[in-house]
Amino acid sequence: MLDKYTCLEKLAAHRTDEVVISSMGVATPWEKLSDGPFDLAHVDTAMGHVADFAYGLALAQPERRVIAFCGDGSTLMCLGSLVTIAQRPTGNLTLVITENGTYEVTGNQPVPGAGEVDFAAIARGAGLREVYTIEDETDFDAKLPLHFQLPGPAVFVWKIARAEEPVPKPNRPILERARRLKSALAGVAP
Amino acid sequence: MRAELIVDEIKKQGATHIVGLPDNGARSLFEALWRDPDLDVVTVTREGEAFAIATGLYLGGKYPVVVIQNTGLFEAGDAFRGMAHNMGVPLVMILGYRGYKSLAPGAPKVDTAASFFEPTLKAWNIPYSLLTCDGEVTEQIDAAFRKAAATSLPAAVLLTVETT
Repeated sequence: MLDKYTCLEKLAAHRTDEVVISSMGVATPWEKLSDGPFDLAHVDTAMGHVADFAYGLALAQPERRVIAFCGDGSTLMCLGSLVTIAQRPTGNLTLVITENGTYEVTGNQPVPGAGEVDFAAIARGAGLREVYTIEDETDFDAKLPLHFQLPGPAVFVWKIARAEEPVPKPNRPILERARRLKSALAGVAP
Repeated sequence: MRAELIVDEIKKQGATHIVGLPDNGARSLFEALWRDPDLDVVTVTREGEAFAIATGLYLGGKYPVVVIQNTGLFEAGDAFRGMAHNMGVPLVMILGYRGYKSLAPGAPKVDTAASFFEPTLKAWNIPYSLLTCDGEVTEQIDAAFRKAAATSLPAAVLLTVETT
């Protein structure tokens, strides 16, 4: 089982100019690690729509990698988006499905199919080819560079330990976060 | 309604991507969009994805248009609210008006896809206009683009007849 905080720290240390979209149980810890113009906390938006939102960004910005964190509960809400992404693949998209089996920020209620659903199999079945499940830190360390290097769409399923994150409250309202990212991608001051 | 007229006007307005899901009324419109080498068409499995993808495209510097049916807009309510609206996307939506004729006086049965439609648009503060014939295409689509740009919010054009 992975410790998500350790994994996020390692990923943040490796990251350069990639766009990072965080959500739910990852939003607050990621914001503590990085809160720059290429970070966007997908909070106060629409549940389950991280992967497809990130896909739109990746289509628009083919020269820049987009890394998106999708909870297992969020992923279950919009499984069809994996098919949409697979039918028109973009090479610069990395999806990280953080699987802990619960809706963490609402009190760790179990998600449907907790412990039974095989997210990697679903991703492969949707037509995605670069799919990896990571269960321990040694494997994580080995595969960390792949998050940045693999021709996408790449999917990494992180089997993470249960934690206790509250409902995320990002530093800025969503409209400001969106405009900041748009300005950064356009290379202009917000 | 001639699909090519809609495609030409969308292109004239600078759209780069179409994100949507075909329905009967927009079948010919999608065929025309797919034929056009200047527009990138992304089809989705469910309409909520259209708003998420369109929002990502816009933040990334592109100019998407969403094409879905009214039934799909109902399904996509949270994605519309949380993504396109909350992130301030000047997004033009071409929305198929399923059941429009059923609203005519004396029609035998009202289609709730139609009777729920305009009240929903009003409740969600979506400005809209109706497209009923070829002669309205340029004016109504241009007005939707100008409205969306002026407000940095979505605006809709309702397709009341089938495209050909």
